[in-house]
Amino acid sequence: MTDADKIADETVRSSPVPAEEAAVVIEDLSLWYGDFRALYDVSLTVPRNQVTALIGASGCGKSTLLRSINRMNDLVEGVRVSGAVRYDGVELYGPDVDPVEVRRRIGMVFQKPNPFPKSIYENVAFGPKLTGFRGDMDALVERALRGAALWDEVSGKLRESGLGLSGGQQQRLCIARALASDPSVILMDEPTSALDPIATDRIERLITDLKRDYTVLIVTHNMQQAGRVSDRTAVMHLGRLIEEGPTDLIFTNPRQELTERYVSGRFG
Amino acid sequence: MLDVGGRQARRRRRTVRTVEAAVAMPVLLALLLLGALLFDVITDTLSWQVLAPAGSGRSFAFAEGFAPFGSWDRVMRLELAARGVPAEDIEPLLADPEERRVLEARNRVELMPWVDGRPFRWLVTTVSDELVADRPLWSGLASRRELLAAAEPGQVVVLNAWLDPAFVLRNASRSPLVAGLLPAFVGSLLLVGLVILLAVPIGVGTAVYLEEYASDTRLARLIELNLSNLAGVPSVVYGILGLTVFVRLMRLGPVVLAGALTLTLLVVPVVVVAAREAIRSVPPSLRQAAYGLGATRSQVVLRVVLPNAVAGITTGVVLAIARTIGETAPLLVLGAAAFVPRPPDGLLSTFTAIPIQIYSWVSENDVEFTHAASAAIVVLLAVLAVLYGIAYYLRRRFASR
Repeated sequence: MTDADKIADETVRSSPVPAEEAAVVIEDLSLWYGDFRALYDVSLTVPRNQVTALIGASGCGKSTLLRSINRMNDLVEGVRVSGAVRYDGVELYGPDVDPVEVRRRIGMVFQKPNPFPKSIYENVAFGPKLTGFRGDMDALVERALRGAALWDEVSGKLRESGLGLSGGQQQRLCIARALASDPSVILMDEPTSALDPIATDRIERLITDLKRDYTVLIVTHNMQQAGRVSDRTAVMHLGRLIEEGPTDLIFTNPRQELTERYVSGRFG
Repeated sequence: MLDVGGRQARRRRRTVRTVEAAVAMPVLLALLLLGALLFDVITDTLSWQVLAPAGSGRSFAFAEGFAPFGSWDRVMRLELAARGVPAEDIEPLLADPEERRVLEARNRVELMPWVDGRPFRWLVTTVSDELVADRPLWSGLASRRELLAAAEPGQVVVLNAWLDPAFVLRNASRSPLVAGLLPAFVGSLLLVGLVILLAVPIGVGTAVYLEEYASDTRLARLIELNLSNLAGVPSVVYGILGLTVFVRLMRLGPVVLAGALTLTLLVVPVVVVAAREAIRSVPPSLRQAAYGLGATRSQVVLRVVLPNAVAGITTGVVLAIARTIGETAPLLVLGAAAFVPRPPDGLLSTFTAIPIQIYSWVSENDVEFTHAASAAIVVLLAVLAVLYGIAYYLRRRFASR
C-alpha cells in the first residue's frame, strides 16, 4: 500500500479550536496548479494570538496552503482554487474581494530575507505609503522596528541601506516591514531556514513575543523549531492535512501513523 | 610513470602562451590602428599657414588679450586700434548690437600657438584674409624658418590650431578660416534632446509592458521577435522611411522635427532592449515582497521595479544618445542641409548635424576645410568617448548592485 492510500480521509484533530477564538478559518480548500492538484480539501482553524506551525515533508503543500491565505497564489499562472478561507468574517475568495486589500491586512515574511534596496526607514514605510498614510510616519516606523526587536540596533542609521544589515537583521527588517501595515495575522514561510543559529534563535524568541499582539502561522521544515515556537501544529502530507492539535500532543502522542513517522524523523 | 611538471607541462605552458599571444595580437593591432587614426586626425587640426591678412595683421601677447570671459572683447579692442579706428569710436562700435554682429561674423579671434616666431599670441583672422600657403604639421615644423624667411612684408606666418573653443562656438562660413561648428553642434544637441524626450518614454513603456503586463501573450512574442530585427536594420533604411513619412507625407520638410522623429525610430529598439534587460534583472523576490505588502501591479512597477532598473535603463539611454550623435546616413537621406549658416531656430527649421558637417567639409574643394573637418572629427570622438565612458561607469555601478 502506498502512503497515499494510508492517509485517512478525515483529518485527525485534537482539542479543536472553538469558533470564537478563530482568526482564520480554512474550509475545504483545494488548489490546482494547472492539472496538478496541490491541496486536497484542507480544513483548518487558526486560533487568534497563538503561533500555529505547519509542518510536513518537502512538497506536501504547506507553503501553498500558507500562500493561499493571503492570495499570493493568485500571482501564479493557471492557479485554480475551490473552497473558502474566512478572515474576520469575510470570505477571502469571494467575488468582490480584492486580493490587494487582503494582502494589506495579512502580512507575509519570506524564506530568504528580501529587503528593498532602499533605506531601512523606506523599507518599513513602504507598506503604509502604498495606502497613502498621512500620519506620523516616524512614530510608525519606530513602533514597527521595536515590534521586530530591531530598533536598538538601527535607530541611529535609519537612512542607511537595508542591504547593509546582516542576514538575521534583514529578516527582522522584513518582519518590521510586515508589521508596519498593522496586520492582525502574520504568515511566515520558513523564516529562519536561511539564517545562522544565533539569528534563528533571536527570531524564534521574537515570534513568541509577537503572538501577544498578532496571530502567527509559520511554515517550517525544522521540527525542533516547531516544537520550540508553536502552540499548535498542523501536519501535512501530499497535499492533505493529516493531523492537527496542540504542539506537545502532536510531538509526544501523535494519533496518525504518518505523523508519528514524520516527527520521529523516519522520513523528511 | 607520471610526468609531473616535466616536458608535458612545459609544452602546455608554451601552448598557452602562444594562444594568449594570438588572441592579444588582433587587440593590439586594433589599438595601434586606432592610435594611428587619432594621431592622424589630431595632427591635421594643426597647420602652418602663411596669411596675407586683411585686418591689421598684428598679433598680441597672451597676457595682453586674455580676460576670463572677455577675451574676445579685449583682443577686438586691440585689433580695432591696430586697424586705425579712432579710440573714441571703438567702444560705441562694440556696444552697438548690429555692428557687433557684423564684427563677429567677419572676424575670428584666435589664440595661435605660434605667430611669426613668437609663442601663444592672439590673432584676429578675417573672412577676407588670403591664404598664401598651408603646410601640414610635421613638414611645416621642419621648414618653419624657411617660411618665415620667404614671407613678404605684411604677411603673417602662424601655427594655426583649428580646434579651439572658438571653433565650437562659431557659425559655419564659406571661408574656412572663420568656419565653426556651432550650427552643427546645436543641431546635434537639439536632435539628442528631442530623441531622448520621445524615445525614453516609448522605449521604457514598451519594455515595462512586455515584461510586466503582457509577458506571455502572442502580441508580446511577436514584438520580441521583431525587436532584434529592428535593431539590426541599416540606418539608411530608417532615413528613407523618415523621408517618405515625415518629410513628404506629413509635409514637414527636411526640418529638425523630422530628423528627430526618424532618429527616434532608429533608437527605440536600443532603449527597449536595454530597459528589458534592466527590468528582467530585478530579482523576483523583490516583486514578491512588494505584492506581499499589498501593492498593486502598477505600484510594484513604479516603486520597486523601475527604481531598481534605472541604472540599466540609463545605460541604454546613453548608448542611444551616442547613436543619435553619430548617425549620418539617415540624416543625409532625410535632407539635412550640407551648408547651414546658423544654428536652427526652432523645430521646423532646416538643420545640420556634426557628422553631416564633417561630410560636407571633407567634400569641399578647398583643402583648408579638411582642417576644419579634422577638428570636427576630434570634437565628435571626444563627445562619444565621454558618453561611452559614462555608459561604462553606469554599467559598473549597475553590476555591483
